[in-house]
Amino acid sequence: MAARDDTERHGWKWLLSAPALLVLLVAASGPLMIVAVYSFLSPGNIGGVTWDFSTEGWFKVFFSRDIFEPENVSWNWANLTVFGRTVWLSVQTTLICAFLGFPTAWFIATRTPEKRALWLFLITIPFWTNLLIRTFAIQELIRGTGMINTVLMALGIIDEPLQLLYSNFAILLGMAYVFLPLMVLPLYAAMDKLDFRLVEAGYDLYASRARVLWHVILPLVKPGFVAGSILVFIPSIGAYVTPRVLGGGRTMMLGNLIALQFGQGRNWPLGAALSMLLLIVVMAALVFYLRAVNSEEGKRRG
Amino acid sequence: MAKSYDVRRLPGFGVIAVATFVLLYLPILVLVVFSFNAGPSQSEWDGFSLQWYYAAFANEQVQDVSIRSLWLAAVAASVATALAVPAALATTRVSRFPGQTMIYALINQPLMVPEIVTGIALLIVVAWVKVSTGYTGMGYLVAAHTAFCIPFAYLPIRARLETLDPTLETAASDLYASPLQAFRYITLPLLVPGIAAGFMLGFVISLDTVVITEFVKSAGQDTLPTYMLGQLRRVITPEMNAIATLFLALSLLFVTAFFLITRKRG
Amino acid sequence: MSGNEIEISGLGKVFGQGASAFRALSDINLTIGTGEFFTLLGPSGCGKTTLLRTIAGFEAPSSGSLRINGEEVAAKGPNARPVNTVFQNYALFPHMSVAQNIGFGLKMLGKPKSEIDATVAEMLRLVRMEAMKDRKPSEISGGQQQRVALARALAPRPRVLLLDEPLSALDLKLRKEMQSELKRLQSETGITFVFVTHDQEEALTMSDRIAVMSAGRILQLGTPHEIYHAPADRFVADFIGDTNFLTVPVAASDGQAATVTLPGGTQAAARLPEGMIPVTGQEVTAVVRPEQATLMPAGQGEMQATVGTSTFFGTDTHIHLTLSDGQGFILRRQNATDMASPEPGQTVGIGLGAGTLRILKD
Repeated sequence: MAARDDTERHGWKWLLSAPALLVLLVAASGPLMIVAVYSFLSPGNIGGVTWDFSTEGWFKVFFSRDIFEPENVSWNWANLTVFGRTVWLSVQTTLICAFLGFPTAWFIATRTPEKRALWLFLITIPFWTNLLIRTFAIQELIRGTGMINTVLMALGIIDEPLQLLYSNFAILLGMAYVFLPLMVLPLYAAMDKLDFRLVEAGYDLYASRARVLWHVILPLVKPGFVAGSILVFIPSIGAYVTPRVLGGGRTMMLGNLIALQFGQGRNWPLGAALSMLLLIVVMAALVFYLRAVNSEEGKRRG
Repeated sequence: MAKSYDVRRLPGFGVIAVATFVLLYLPILVLVVFSFNAGPSQSEWDGFSLQWYYAAFANEQVQDVSIRSLWLAAVAASVATALAVPAALATTRVSRFPGQTMIYALINQPLMVPEIVTGIALLIVVAWVKVSTGYTGMGYLVAAHTAFCIPFAYLPIRARLETLDPTLETAASDLYASPLQAFRYITLPLLVPGIAAGFMLGFVISLDTVVITEFVKSAGQDTLPTYMLGQLRRVITPEMNAIATLFLALSLLFVTAFFLITRKRG
Repeated sequence: MSGNEIEISGLGKVFGQGASAFRALSDINLTIGTGEFFTLLGPSGCGKTTLLRTIAGFEAPSSGSLRINGEEVAAKGPNARPVNTVFQNYALFPHMSVAQNIGFGLKMLGKPKSEIDATVAEMLRLVRMEAMKDRKPSEISGGQQQRVALARALAPRPRVLLLDEPLSALDLKLRKEMQSELKRLQSETGITFVFVTHDQEEALTMSDRIAVMSAGRILQLGTPHEIYHAPADRFVADFIGDTNFLTVPVAASDGQAATVTLPGGTQAAARLPEGMIPVTGQEVTAVVRPEQATLMPAGQGEMQATVGTSTFFGTDTHIHLTLSDGQGFILRRQNATDMASPEPGQTVGIGLGAGTLRILKD
């Protein structure tokens, strides 16, 4: 079949994807281009922009000017702190998810096939249930009058409620909670393909459990680790809902800082530049991932 | 009798795994349990009651946003699925052609770009279009949700298409079917599970989408998630738990159906 | 009857372009008669399936002409040709019942429902699948799927039925059963069958004529008898059945027959292929089928040999021998209960009956 219309086929067949591409172009990719353009314009008075070229938006991402002496430039610590916190929280989230996700995926992968489907289903449910609701559940649990404080006080461990909500800790807990399935699923996929005869070979050759884990299992499931880390890191770095609900005004993440510029901040070019910055970090993570995958494949072929 | 050496065992892993499952379900469980609380507390149990469910059902604003959410999800998922089927046909089982990577990147773009970035990008465009056309209807939300749902609808359809034996279409054409008939009688019926799975994923994703909606909606276009987001900073009664529980039940229904459909394939 | 159903001339097929181009078929010339059971035989990659797919219309030929019932069809699609295919994996539509599968072609041809129903019933009877008509393909056995695939391809009453290794997925017993089933169906329907296989035994037992293919060419075209007993070249001789190849010098030649000097010095008459006139002293390849040589006491027969290993096959035994000049020779002897295998190391004679030795073209 393929050979008959090898040449004609490509000419028209891709056109079938044109309607979908059109919608994506209009309502997803096209607007991104406009954001890039906006990052080089000047802010309007009540939000919006004026069509004057300016690098001030990008400048303000990193630096700030003294209000009275504009030539007096210093680092914009407010923004840089948010940026640093965002990266740091995302890294920690990824690490926590990896620490909890690896044993969980291993646990699922070593069940009998019938039971495996059930455990997998249990991990899939949170994956597809509403992120807002799961964040809400965490909020209810850790708020001053929430379950955790109530139980701790009833047990006499603490005398007054801990201030857990509206902190970096709350954000971290929330993000690890909502993104955990994203780590487990690719890890499970990698373990599912794992040839257990290799593990047996490791034990046969006098390796301890720790050494088999380190020298045999981990290298073999590395692609799952890489994929899972990317799947957790990317939504973490772009998180908006979780820090908005669980974080306070002083524990913003990049997503909230961007939203602020389009709301009260009324500095659309700065917001656009911050969005581009976020996009660049995400793309860098993706490129890193693709290169890791490709080199892994290359090794396997070579 | 000696126990055989279990090569699959790694000490401590089982404990962490079980703890993880408990951590995953405990918050949701607490949320659901307290939706049945007779009292207004989220931590002190005052007895079983359905009063918060009655309150939620009686709340006109909740009714309003729920209907809007379901309507939006149905429309966006339908359109996205209708667009994803030809897109999957165009990109599956063809040898490489120029621009293929571009098409993949475009289709999967909503999966990669943070929602907040898409959100403000749409905010800018919508603001523009609103000013120049004066149109403030649901069209913006429909377009935004549709675009966002396309990759989710596309992936299961494409997965299904890839498992389809191409000789079936060859056999159909051998038995005098035109290409259109081969699609109508062979490919399409066999694609149905993929299409259903794609629609359901799209529906769940649209229901979940909060950030994009938040930035695109006009006044009075709140959906259930944006309504909830707005309420979360206030003092919350278990009415919110009741709403969340109902929402959860709906998602669970779709996820289960999706799981059953995609599992049947094998 | 007995007209030409398929006429192929100068047919070629090239896949790809430039440096990566692959010539799958070269200069195929072939005429298949109406009602014939015709087999394309060759190892995998020889082009037999490509040729079949070209006749079906799944591949467009790069050059040459292809006529079915006198009509040029090279440019027509598969849905415009009066041929139907039984696919290697059957390609039954999994979402349709057995009856719906069989009726699909007629439905696509726009036949009225009453006619479709009648034909489907007839086909179900023909392949003895009446009881299964409402089952899905996944609910019937491999052999039954095979019958449904046959019925589906026969239902539109094609002029030619193409079969692409249809029996390769079946186990040996079912395979034998389906072989005779296919022969029965062909004689009952009178439809021309073009059958592709890599199994030489299957080809020999079922075909009216066979085309042996290799590297995109037809090497020999003939009846099973001709192909087996008068292989055109070394490839055909090697591919069809077991053969002993002997390198021997020509002692005398008159253009019709030749005398060769066998290992050990005995001279024997050997048949010459058409058009070959070897000179005296020229080394040629002579072939003998293992079952055409007989085991004799030492000192008797045309050649002397040392016994190596013997392999027992039930109906016969293969005896591996080494000739006096070191060439290997396999002899096949029918088993009888009172027969003992010769001892390894023992010297025996090999008897070659008249007409068993045949010289191959180089």
